[in-house]
Amino acid sequence: MKLRIFVYAVLVTGCVLAIFPYFLTVLTAFKGPGQLSETMPWEPGVPPSTAAFHRLFASGFGGYLVNTTLVTAGITLGQVVFAVLAAYAFARLSFPGRDALFWVYLSTLMVPPVVTMIPLYLMMQKLGLVDTWAGLMLPTMLGTPYAIFLLRQFFRGIPADLEDAARIDGAGRVRTLVSIVLPLSKPILVTVTTLAVVANWNSFLWPLIITSSEDKRLLSVGIALFKGEIGVDYNAVMAGSLIALAPLLVLFIVFQRFIVRSVAVTGLK
Amino acid sequence: MLRPAPRRTQRIGAYKQTAAAYALLAPSLVGVLGFLLAPVVIVLVLSLFDWKLLSTPEFIGLANYRKLFTDSDVWHSLLVTLYYVIICVPGTTILSLLLALLVDRKLRGMKYFRALLVIPWMATPVALGLVWSWIFDPGRGALNQFLGLFGVHGPAWLSSPVLAMPSVAAVHIWQFAGYNMLFFLAGLQNIPPSLREASSLDGASPVAHFFSITLPLLRPTMLFVLITNVIGSFQAFDTIFVMTEGGPGDSTEVTTYLIYDEAFKKFDFGYASTISVLLFAVVLIATISQFVYFERRTTYEVSG
Repeated sequence: MKLRIFVYAVLVTGCVLAIFPYFLTVLTAFKGPGQLSETMPWEPGVPPSTAAFHRLFASGFGGYLVNTTLVTAGITLGQVVFAVLAAYAFARLSFPGRDALFWVYLSTLMVPPVVTMIPLYLMMQKLGLVDTWAGLMLPTMLGTPYAIFLLRQFFRGIPADLEDAARIDGAGRVRTLVSIVLPLSKPILVTVTTLAVVANWNSFLWPLIITSSEDKRLLSVGIALFKGEIGVDYNAVMAGSLIALAPLLVLFIVFQRFIVRSVAVTGLK
Repeated sequence: MLRPAPRRTQRIGAYKQTAAAYALLAPSLVGVLGFLLAPVVIVLVLSLFDWKLLSTPEFIGLANYRKLFTDSDVWHSLLVTLYYVIICVPGTTILSLLLALLVDRKLRGMKYFRALLVIPWMATPVALGLVWSWIFDPGRGALNQFLGLFGVHGPAWLSSPVLAMPSVAAVHIWQFAGYNMLFFLAGLQNIPPSLREASSLDGASPVAHFFSITLPLLRPTMLFVLITNVIGSFQAFDTIFVMTEGGPGDSTEVTTYLIYDEAFKKFDFGYASTISVLLFAVVLIATISQFVYFERRTTYEVSG
C-alpha cells in the first residue's frame, strides 16, 4: 500500500536525522588529525585512531568522568529517596497543612532555575560551600517537586487495604513503605529515576557557577571549557562529547522499553 | 468513662501521624522552602540593592528597575529570547504532533522507530551544542560538505547574525521533537477508536476528522506540550553557551545569557537579580496566558 511506504520512508528519514549527529560524533572521535581534513565528515577514518582520547585523558578527562558519575549517582539517590518519603506522606498521612503544603510544592514547578541561581550562589557563599561537593549537590538532592508529584499520584492509586493489613500486623510506617508500597511502584520509580539521571548527568549551569577547581569539574563543564582551552580541535571535542553522550545512550538502549513508556506517563495525570 | 479514652488515643494517633508526616517531609521541606522558595524572595530583595562584588550591598529602591527600563541590552535580549521561543515552540509542537500521527499505527518495527526518535532528548545539551557546531562548521562541517555535493556553497551558519539564531533553534527542535511526540502519542491513544469509525461512516475526510475531532480532543496534551516548551525555551542557555556565546554580535544573546554575564562575569548581583525578576515575570505571564487561552484548567485533584 502506498500510504505504508510513505510512512516508512518518512520514519526512516526522521530516524536517520535523529541518529546522524551521534554517528558523526563517533566517526570524528576516532579520526586522527590528518584524517579529519582528508575525509568527508560521514566517512570513517581508516585505520581508526584513538589519539583524540589519549589527548583527552591526558588533560584530566578521566577525573571529570568519575566526578560526573559519582555526583549523578549521589544527587539521584537523594532525590529519589527524599521524594519517595515526601510523596508517601502526601499520599497516605493526614496532617494539618497537607493540602496547602502540596500546592506550595507544586507552585515551585513554575520557578525557572535561572531565577534562583544568583540567590543560591550567594547562599552557598554564606555557608562556605562554593567550590565544594556539598555546594554542588545540596540544592537539588533533597527531592524535586515534580518527582514528588508523580510519586504521590501513583501511591494514591495503590489500594490502602494492603498497607492497613501490614500495619495491623505491627509494621511501622517506613516498613510498610519499603515492603508493601515500593515493590508495587516499580514503574514509577523507573520513571522518576530515569528523569533524575538524565537531568543530573546533563546539568551544566549550576556546576559551571558553583565549582571552579579542576578536581571538581564535571564532564559538561569540561567539554564546554574545552573549546576555549585547546582551540577548535574537533577530534578531541567530539571524543569528549562522545564520552558525555555514550553512558545515557547505553542506558537508553538497555532500558529502552521502560523509558519510552515512562516518559509518556509523565505527560498527563 | 469509656468514652474519652478512645478519643484520647485518637488524638495521640493524630499527633503521631502529624509528627511522622513532617519527619518524612523534612528533607524535601528544606529543599523546597530553602532552595526554591527562599531564593525567589531573595532575588526580589536583591533587585532593590546595588551590590557589586566586594562592595557592601546598598539599598537603592527601584533604581535598578529604572535602569532596566532604559537598558537597550535587556530589551534586545528579551526580543532575542522571544525570537528563539517563537521558532522553537511552534516548530517542536507541530513536528512532534506530525511524528505522533505517523507512529500512531500498528506497523512492523514501530516501537523501534519511536525509541530512535526519542534518543536526542537524552543528549547532554553542551555536548550536543558542540556536535552541532561541528556539523555547522562552514568549511569542513557535514552540512556544507553535503550541500557541496549538489554544488551549493553553504553559508557560515553560526557566524552569520541572520542565520545563527535559526540554526541554534533548529538544534532545540531536533532535540525535543521526538520527546514531545510521546506525549501526543499518549494523547492520541486515549481517543476512542469508535470516533474514527463514526466520522469515516459520516464520510469525513481524514483531514476534516483531524481538525474537528482529533485536535480538540488533544487539547490537554497540547497545553502541556506548549507550556513545558515555552518554559524550557525561555531558559535556553547550554547550547547557546557552547555554540555562539551569544554572538555573533549580540544576535543570540538571550536573557539567561545576559543574567549569567551580569552576575558571574561582571559580578553585578543586584542588577542581574533585577533582570532575573523581569524574566520570571515574562515566563509567568506567558504560562498564565496559555492557561487562560485554553480555558481549561489541568485538574490536579489535591484532596479526597
